[in-house]
Amino acid sequence: MGCRGTDAKLYGRTSAPVLFPLAEHIARSVLIKYPHFSLYSVPMAKKTKKTPARSRGQTARKKAPARKRKTANPRRWFSWSLVAKVFVVLLVIGAAGMAYLDAMVRQRFDAHVWQLPARVYARPVELYEGRVLSREDMLKLLDLMRYRRDSRASTPGSFSVQGNSLLIHTRGFNDSDGGEKPKRIRLSLSGGQIQSLQAGGEGLARLEPLQIGSIHPQHAEDRVLVPLEEVPPLLVDMLIATEDQSFYDHHGISLRGLARAMLANLKAGGLVQGGSTLTQQLVKNFWLTSERTLSRKLLEMPMAMLLELHYSKQQILEAYLNEVYLGQDGARAIHGMGLGAQFLFGRPLQELEPHQLATLVALLKGPSWYDPRRRPERAMERRNTVLGVALEQGALSQGDFDKYSARPLEVVPRGASALYAFPAFIDLVRRQLARDYPPEVLSDEGLNIHSTLDVLAQLAAEGALKEHLDNRDPKQDKKLNGAVVVVAPAQGDVLALVSNRNSREAGFNRALDAQRPMGSLAKPAVVLAAVRQPKKWSLATLVEDGPIQVAMPNGDLWEPQNFDKQARGAMPMVDVLAQSRNQATARLGLDVGLDKVAGTMETLGVTRNVPRYPSILLGSLALTPFEVAMMYQPLATGGFSTRLRSITDVLDKEGEPLARYPVSADEVIEAGPAFLTQWAMQQVVDNGTARSARAYLPEGLKVAGKTGTSDDFRDAWFAGFSANHLAVVWVGRDDNGNAGITGSSGALPVWARLMGKLPQRSLSQNPPDGVEWVWMNPNGQQVSAEGCGDARRYPMLEASIPQDADGCGAVKQTGKGIKGWFKGLFD
Amino acid sequence: MQMLFRVLVVSFWLTGCAVSVPDAPKEPMTASVELEGSPALSLLQRAEAARQQGETAAAERYLERALNIAPDSSWLYKSLADLRLFEGDARSAEGFALKALRLAPDHPQYRAELWELVATARERQGDKAGADEARQRASDVLMPGRPV
Repeated sequence: MGCRGTDAKLYGRTSAPVLFPLAEHIARSVLIKYPHFSLYSVPMAKKTKKTPARSRGQTARKKAPARKRKTANPRRWFSWSLVAKVFVVLLVIGAAGMAYLDAMVRQRFDAHVWQLPARVYARPVELYEGRVLSREDMLKLLDLMRYRRDSRASTPGSFSVQGNSLLIHTRGFNDSDGGEKPKRIRLSLSGGQIQSLQAGGEGLARLEPLQIGSIHPQHAEDRVLVPLEEVPPLLVDMLIATEDQSFYDHHGISLRGLARAMLANLKAGGLVQGGSTLTQQLVKNFWLTSERTLSRKLLEMPMAMLLELHYSKQQILEAYLNEVYLGQDGARAIHGMGLGAQFLFGRPLQELEPHQLATLVALLKGPSWYDPRRRPERAMERRNTVLGVALEQGALSQGDFDKYSARPLEVVPRGASALYAFPAFIDLVRRQLARDYPPEVLSDEGLNIHSTLDVLAQLAAEGALKEHLDNRDPKQDKKLNGAVVVVAPAQGDVLALVSNRNSREAGFNRALDAQRPMGSLAKPAVVLAAVRQPKKWSLATLVEDGPIQVAMPNGDLWEPQNFDKQARGAMPMVDVLAQSRNQATARLGLDVGLDKVAGTMETLGVTRNVPRYPSILLGSLALTPFEVAMMYQPLATGGFSTRLRSITDVLDKEGEPLARYPVSADEVIEAGPAFLTQWAMQQVVDNGTARSARAYLPEGLKVAGKTGTSDDFRDAWFAGFSANHLAVVWVGRDDNGNAGITGSSGALPVWARLMGKLPQRSLSQNPPDGVEWVWMNPNGQQVSAEGCGDARRYPMLEASIPQDADGCGAVKQTGKGIKGWFKGLFD
Repeated sequence: MQMLFRVLVVSFWLTGCAVSVPDAPKEPMTASVELEGSPALSLLQRAEAARQQGETAAAERYLERALNIAPDSSWLYKSLADLRLFEGDARSAEGFALKALRLAPDHPQYRAELWELVATARERQGDKAGADEARQRASDVLMPGRPV
């Protein structure tokens, strides 16, 4: 992918030594070596599964003689002393086993009770007076963040609307700058802007960042850690009432519960009921598989007792609440109530209402059997049972019981959550993180990753691509697909990344990995290389658009054609770019020098090897959409190169800053040539090959860009920018076949729709030092004046302003211009 | 003929001077010149407070947020340059100082200050010639009447 540089700045510890894999290794090996511990390792079900451990030679050999001694010929070997010996041996083995179990239990619990994957957040939404934000977008954001409507906005995560006025109770969050406390803010939105904001005396406020993903490369476990003091007490009450009423009295196992379960199992002729305490269930979740065997049960009991010996009820309860398995989301296992709340209701656990808490408790009896999405009736029945037990135990009043047992399940539809909604962007974050953090730190240490994703820009980009491709290829039989990269050019923030017309589908990341010939996107580099030699070229310089042939070292002739197969003759350089003339560009590029053009591409940020072939002038070099964004970024900022970043801050699980990915700025292109090139690219949109974009953009908005089409219409490109958004669009086919599209028809409409939906600022029309506006004679050689024939106004570098005037009108110029002319006398 | 040319030269010279003479002494450039009434100003103040307490990560985050609100503020880029210099990252400091110059209003004192900043940043990178050039630019902007 090749971003320029990386280097996060570190502020705290990077990572603690990771003990966790060790504990897991032990737990796993115990499972495998399980038959060692027990002579009863026969699964209760008839269909005996062969465990791999048993077939292992050494294990089997060791154990087999022991068993034979006991059973094959008992009488021959029987003696009391033998019994005593066996008893002692068993005692020793038992004690050793217990010691081993004890170490295991404590290590896992002490070392790191929970594996916490890194969580990735979008950029927090900044609110301040004057910010461009429509009421519709504001409501869309609140909906995505699962704010609930509440007329008084009394608790964090709620809001109320009255016309254009909103009252929002924010949730608060940690950040490198200290973050925000939850607070109530009042704002009014009209005319597509925040008109007023009251936020406790502050002129600005932030909504907490939306979580958009988590990273767990090693094992697909995910978790949202909730400390016990933040768990709603009702949840704890319901949990104990339904799962383990004697929790506070027993020492890990409840004989009464067990007896009851065994009776039920005898009746059913198999294991149907657990009778496990919460502690046993925790042991099961922590260390053992869910296989229902008697042997597991026998291992579970001593472990549960050991756990109770070392840890308080509160610690065990907290561990249980954060560990318990609640279901599966594809490959991702849902562990713990915190994540369960997010997964089912899209909200933090603390914000759930009693009937929702009861749904979570209901799941414990069988996460798949009582899955509220797939089995709503069962889940509802079980939920009401839980509510009923809570009523019996006095945890819920009759009034509340009546009220909440009548409520629907209210689970959010699968996939409606912002979690995992932006797989392409998360992929980028993961790649950037992987350069600085080892995988186990990402998967275990609960890092909080603040990313640069702008949810509204992302949704706009997804929508624009989908809408356009659904138009052009409704049945998907043309197999068109595409990618979009949106960047805030000044800071290099990647605001959005789309790599598929069906944006939620993970898989091939076209934005980062589809490497395609850039076509005419290369042309601005040719123009830039030319105007960097101002004594030879200006944007007014005439370039011949006509047949051109170059003999290649291998004897071939390179004969570029124009798109329309016509030759237009001499035309000003700016028109060569605006009309995307191939033959004139080739001629210009060869005059400037291949080395100069290739060098300019490298200066702009192309990190691939740029071969010094004439065909690079017309874009034979293949880049990914992300790399094109890197190359266009300095063009968008007037010559300052910035690393493209998808991450701003990394915090540890307590919210303390660990590292920053700071913004940077390197002046790689001089102000003058950068301004001229940007202006020439504006002509592409104002009256060149991209003028159709105007229909989607606010009138008068100054934007710049370039269309690109590769040979045989395989790739359609558009890359362009305003002052605050740079967007690159690629459309084509994965099999690299003829897509029958051009930059103007295939990619530009996506760009225009997208840019039209985002708040834009115009590119500056103020020339930097050393550049001025000059009326030029169409011959490109003489200064002219306004209103003279076909005179046109150009931004000119002082060194390229001709000394000659065409004599028409009064040559009216600024002081600097005269000076430039004056200086020219001596040059 | 040569005389005429000289007269021409002198008259053009004078014209050039007249235009480039800076206006009467200006108010000192401060943050509020660009940021008065903008929420970016309060973020800038928080950034300065954070820096004084040695919390550079927080200071940076505040400044980046401020730039999102006021992207054309030269002063914010100058503050970033100062911060980077403080952190020992002279290369970034130079980049931000040059960016600040790009956006700087027509205010000789302020521009000279920025060139000084560029000079310091270059010096710290061991670029003596570059530093001298920047110092020259700094004195050029301050020298009224001299074409720049």
